[in-house]
Amino acid sequence: MEHLSHQDVVNLFLMLAAMLLLARIFAEIAQKFKQPAVVGELLAGILLGPTILGTFFPELFQDLFLSNPNANLALDGFVQIAVVLLLFIAGLEVELHLVWSQGKSALSISLLGLIVPFILGFVFPYYFPEFFGLVEGDRLLFSLFMGTAMSITALPVVVRILMDLDLFKTKMGMLIVASAMVNDIIGWLIFSVILSFMGKAGNLSLMQTIGITLLFTFFMLTIGKFIINKALPWINKKLAWPGGVLSLSMAFCFMAAAFTEWLGIHAIFGAFLLGVALGDSEHMSERAKEIVHQFINNIFAPLFFVSIGLKINFFTNFDLLLTLAILVISFAGKIVGSGFGAYKGGFNVKESLAVGFGMNARGAMEIILGLIALENGLIGEKLFVALVIMAIVTSMSSGPLMKWSLKAAKEEREAAS
Amino acid sequence: MFKKIALAIAFSPRFASLIAEAKRLSEVFDAELILIHVGEKEDAQVQTLHDALDKLQVLDKVKIYWEQGKPANKIMQVCEEQGVDLLVAGALKQEGLLQYYIGSIARKIIRRSKCSVLMLIEPLENPTPFDKVVINGTQQEQTPRVIAQGLDWCKKDQARQVFIVNEIKMYGMQMAAAGEGGESEIANTRRKLVSEEVEYVEQILKGLDKGNLRVNVKITCGKWAVELAKFASDIKADLLIVGDEGKLGFLDRLFPHDLEDILSDLPCNLLIVKK
Repeated sequence: MEHLSHQDVVNLFLMLAAMLLLARIFAEIAQKFKQPAVVGELLAGILLGPTILGTFFPELFQDLFLSNPNANLALDGFVQIAVVLLLFIAGLEVELHLVWSQGKSALSISLLGLIVPFILGFVFPYYFPEFFGLVEGDRLLFSLFMGTAMSITALPVVVRILMDLDLFKTKMGMLIVASAMVNDIIGWLIFSVILSFMGKAGNLSLMQTIGITLLFTFFMLTIGKFIINKALPWINKKLAWPGGVLSLSMAFCFMAAAFTEWLGIHAIFGAFLLGVALGDSEHMSERAKEIVHQFINNIFAPLFFVSIGLKINFFTNFDLLLTLAILVISFAGKIVGSGFGAYKGGFNVKESLAVGFGMNARGAMEIILGLIALENGLIGEKLFVALVIMAIVTSMSSGPLMKWSLKAAKEEREAAS
Repeated sequence: MFKKIALAIAFSPRFASLIAEAKRLSEVFDAELILIHVGEKEDAQVQTLHDALDKLQVLDKVKIYWEQGKPANKIMQVCEEQGVDLLVAGALKQEGLLQYYIGSIARKIIRRSKCSVLMLIEPLENPTPFDKVVINGTQQEQTPRVIAQGLDWCKKDQARQVFIVNEIKMYGMQMAAAGEGGESEIANTRRKLVSEEVEYVEQILKGLDKGNLRVNVKITCGKWAVELAKFASDIKADLLIVGDEGKLGFLDRLFPHDLEDILSDLPCNLLIVKK
């Protein structure tokens, strides 16, 4: 077994320390400006990476991040764990109970909010692949990915916005949350199928992959959930709290991740589904969820978001036209799709617009999706940068836009009465 | 509140206790009592029933319906025809996996009945009033009605302690979202979440006559049905009062509605208030 040398270890810890330190500083600054921490963490990465440090202090950048391949490999392991854990908490946030109780309107908002952006995201890259940066590779897969990337909604950002606007518990708030949850499940399901075709380990046919993915999903949401639900009371009672539930849930998360990776449908999907099954269990207490969230959001999430900036030069890979095109497609897709779904569900035009704006927040999920596609060679760096910018812009604009349209809706109502 | 109470009887070991409980309730609510049995009408059974009713001195006061057919359907049919307000039945505390998915008679009644249903898990031969009552105060459309009817019940039955339990939805996620801010934001959010839920219940209580009842408002965090059941079980409640969630089918058992969680493991006697 190979070991990290003395120098490797020093280098690895320095990298981790620099990443976490800067992430914290910039997250705090972002919050001072009422922006999500993830914006600050991405900025920290851009500052530490080739964009700023690499350009202005190339030697320091070289020493810290490029000089030691072994340390980089170890860091990559950390980032892999971070992605899996981020998807695990994304799953933990999904409450099937809530989705079910919101019934048809949640389904129509989420399905239309999924289908319309998906179609828009699919059609343009399919007919203009060069513009979107597809040089070689499968045009269909590429367009399918773009469709998925346009249709996903970031639940944590949505929750934060709804809480800030005091809308979380309203009918609209619950509908948006439930719809975002459905979007999450279907979006990651489609993405997993796409990824399995990027062909690293997978030797399965399309139908086989879809079949196995659906089977695994069904298993986790029924029998898997049942087993977890039976095991948790024992874990809570017999083992240390919250130690027992934390370490065992992590262990099962990694196990599910390993299993789906082995199947050829990417580790994140297993982690996500295990999160869904665990989060929906009545015995997974809200306190335990809060602890898991804090632990992952404050340690692993910053490592992941900073690592984004380390990989890419955001300046040289910035393409204005492409970024604008992605922004237009993403806004149009979500606002038309989710908005129309809400309109059909009985909201007026302005309120429906607010639902569309709410569902438009992409946040971390978009970035994870983009990075995995980038690492698998499905998309180029320019498109990735455009997607990251889109994720930030949509997350930052969702709250103010929603506030604006709700205010307009209120004024309209008052004028009418 | 209830003018006509029906008791569904099977000749199980608990049937005398169930009749005693139903009799007590009919006196509390000054209601007419009818008994429904679905199955063969055999002489021995008629005798047993008459003996039990005689012992309780209600033989002349109750109407008995002997029916043939599918138990749950027939019971509900009689209830509808007779304009029953409250249907009382015995239920098992816990059900096996198979029963849960296929559904027992008690569960079928709860899911389909149009009138309020009281499920008794431990009927007593010498029944006593329900002392400790837990009422569901979660933010739902029917909650003001459930609380109003629940308090009416408690006043009539002279309950000693009444708890209205409301919960904070998705507490973990909301706190994690607040966790992006500083310590003060976390503390403020926590306080706000709790006070909002207390205020919701207090607003409803404002317009209601509580009589001499001691009403406590409790806030939990998590899924309402689970938290409610846990609370009722922790304080050893005698009765849990909830509203219904409309007609539930097989799919609701596969992907359960909140109410189904309570039904799968009843923490105590359960009253489901219907419109």
